[in-house]
This record gives sequence, C-alpha cells and structure tokens, in this order.
Amino acid sequence: MSKTAQPIHSQVLREKLKVKNLILRQEITLKHGHLNNDLLSKALNIDKLRQHSTHLLGAGALAGTFLLAPAHQVHALPAPQDIVQRARTQQAIAPVVSPQKILIDSLKEVLPQKPRPLSRVEEKSLEQIFSDVLKVPSKATLEGEHLNTTYGYIGAEQHLVRYPGDTMASQVGNDKTLWKEGMAPGKGAWGYFAHSKAELTPELVETEKWYAVVQTLYLPDWNTRTRYLRDWYKYRKVMIVNTQNGNAVVASIADSGPAAWTGKHFGGSPEVMMHLGGPRYKKGAVVVFFVDDPENKVPLGPIEYNKIQLPEWAFHQV
Amino acid sequence: MSKVFYDKLIAFEKIEKEIGKIAESKEEKDELIRIVDEYIHHRMIGCILEKLPKDHHEEFLTQFTEAPHHEGLWNYLRKKVSEDVEGFMQEEVYKIGRELLEVIRGKPKKSS
Repeated sequence: MSKTAQPIHSQVLREKLKVKNLILRQEITLKHGHLNNDLLSKALNIDKLRQHSTHLLGAGALAGTFLLAPAHQVHALPAPQDIVQRARTQQAIAPVVSPQKILIDSLKEVLPQKPRPLSRVEEKSLEQIFSDVLKVPSKATLEGEHLNTTYGYIGAEQHLVRYPGDTMASQVGNDKTLWKEGMAPGKGAWGYFAHSKAELTPELVETEKWYAVVQTLYLPDWNTRTRYLRDWYKYRKVMIVNTQNGNAVVASIADSGPAAWTGKHFGGSPEVMMHLGGPRYKKGAVVVFFVDDPENKVPLGPIEYNKIQLPEWAFHQV
Repeated sequence: MSKVFYDKLIAFEKIEKEIGKIAESKEEKDELIRIVDEYIHHRMIGCILEKLPKDHHEEFLTQFTEAPHHEGLWNYLRKKVSEDVEGFMQEEVYKIGRELLEVIRGKPKKSS
C-alpha cells in the first residue's frame, strides 16, 4: 500500500534543485575537460543565453553564425490596406461579407506558419489590419515597450484570487464551465486586486475576469528597470487575437508567466480562453498587441466586430 | 520570445502548476522557474555532449552560444550525431519531467 506523498516546502525544493544543478555542472565540467572553460561556462548559463536570444530575435537577427542557415526568412509583404482590400474583394462575390473571414484571410497573408517573433514590418502590417477590421487601436510597441514576442502560444490559466477570502462561488456564481479551471493557489504578480471585498470595484472585477499573462520575467531589462516596468505592465490592456478563428479579446495584464519550459508564451483567464476558442480551448496561437488607449475608452472583454454587413441590394431583394 | 532551440520539445505545464502551489510569493515562484530552467538546460547540454562526437563539441557550443534559438542547430546535430537526435533528446525530456515531478511531489512512501 502506498501513502500519499507530502508536498515539499518551497525552500527545500529550492535547495534540492540548487544542489542538483551544482552536481550536474561539476559532472559536465569534469567529463568534458577538453573544452575551453569559458565556452562551457557560457553554454551552461541559461539566463544569459535566454537574454541573448531575446536580443537577437528582437533585433530580427537571422543568422549570426557561419554554419547555420537562416532560421526564417521574412518575406516581403504587400501593403496592409492591399491585404485587407483583397480579402474584402474576394468576399464581395459571396452574398454576405464577414469581417471575421476578412481578418482570418488577412492574417494568413502576414503571419508565418509557426509562431515566432515578428519583424517590425510584419507587426506594422498587423497594426493596420487590426485597426481596419477590429477598429481597436493597437500597437506592438507602445511607449517604447515591446513584449519578447507578439506571436506565440497562449495557455489556459486559473482564476486569480481578488481579495483575501475570495471564493470561486463569488467569482463565477453557478457557471460550471468557468469553475473547471479553479482558482490559482497564489496571488497574481501584482498581489490582490483589492484589500477586501468592500474595496473591490466593478472595474477590478472586470480586470480579473478578462486578465492576460505575459512573460515579464524574461524581459531583457526587467532586472534593471524593475520598478518602472512593474508599474507600466500592471493591468496594461492588450488585445489578444486568435489567429485561427479571428476571435479577439481586450484583456488586462494581471500576472507574469508562463515559464519558457511550458511551450507557451502567454496565458489567458478562463473567460478570455472561453471567448478565444470555447470551453475546450486550452492552447493556441495568438497575436498579442498593446491597446493604445490613453483615455481608457476601450472596454475589457470580447471585441464584437463580426456584425454582418448585408449589402444594400440584399434589402431590395427582400 | 526567450528561446533556446530545444524549447519546442518541452511542455512541463504540470511542473509549473506544482510550483505555483508551493511558492509563497511571486518572487519565489519566478526564482524556482529559473532554477528549473537551469536544471533542464544542464541536462540537455549534458545529453547532447554525451552523444555528439568530441571533435564537434567546441564547434557546437560556439554555434549554440552565438545563436541559442537557431533552428539550424537541429540540422547541425542531425548531421554530426548518428542517432536520432530528437528521439534521444525527447527521451531525456521525459526523464527530466518525471524526476522533477518526483522531487516536487515527493516519492509516495510505502507502508506494509
């Protein structure tokens, strides 16, 4: 018979992993004594390597080495207005014009097949397309800030505790589909949304409901500009677009993550994920841009841009 | 995107969830995430150096440190290693995941 294992304390886990890392490092160094020490040290420093790759990818550097072929080619893009216009023209022969189809077709022309950091040209094209079709002002770079990637995989997150003593029942009521993910055991990166239930404003309720997670922990200057960046990113509005079906949501950043070793780059609250892809949607490719909203006019939640515009002749024929 | 070429093989969502359960603060969670990242990385580099012929170690590490994200590193390894590179690295990833979960959750104690 086996008993359930006791969960480890965080400090014990930290020490255990640190010792494991030390032993592993020593083993590698001893086993490969033929290697230049500096080179091996550099190759084992994952923090520095991730920072370096962020810089390279951010700068659009394709191949820095003599042996490696370019990882990806940025193809020349047509003007964004031409892309949208072409999608609209193709749609015009159909009896009903669907903005969602226009968006999906336009995204297909701009985005690479697999998520990767986009070039500035690609991002500019997308800004124009989003502005034309979604009517939401969004930017890949806002006030000089840019995420490490704007095109990546989003994963399902849990509800965040809003104030001490918050419960699932008070958050989502009887909606069982939203219970499934449960509540995160810890607080979000910016702590509680309010000190108490009484201080929880309707705006903060919406902030938790439509929250997004981005990898602030991997920003190259996070450690040097921590205070400024922490304030800048807190509840910053982002627009998340599901590149497969065109569903789009405005969300606010309320947590940091996910870890690089999860295969994901962003996270979404249960409500965000539900709107992006439905109750079974757990992971998918998305574009995430900052919402340029200095006057705080863009509401959080789904972007309802897919109102079908029936052509004028349709009314005459009826 | 903070990317290392082998990232595509790794999807340790359960481990992140477990860390979220035991970390007492965001800072602690971030630190544990980094330590796990380091552990995975040491294991992956150790595994590659084990399979890659000695003569190519320096060249590989030079290429890797210059462009850690580069997909071309896969081609390089495929050319220089006789075994199925993705296969043995995937196997290593599986072992790492199992071991980490065991460390975090603890081994179930047997009782008579």
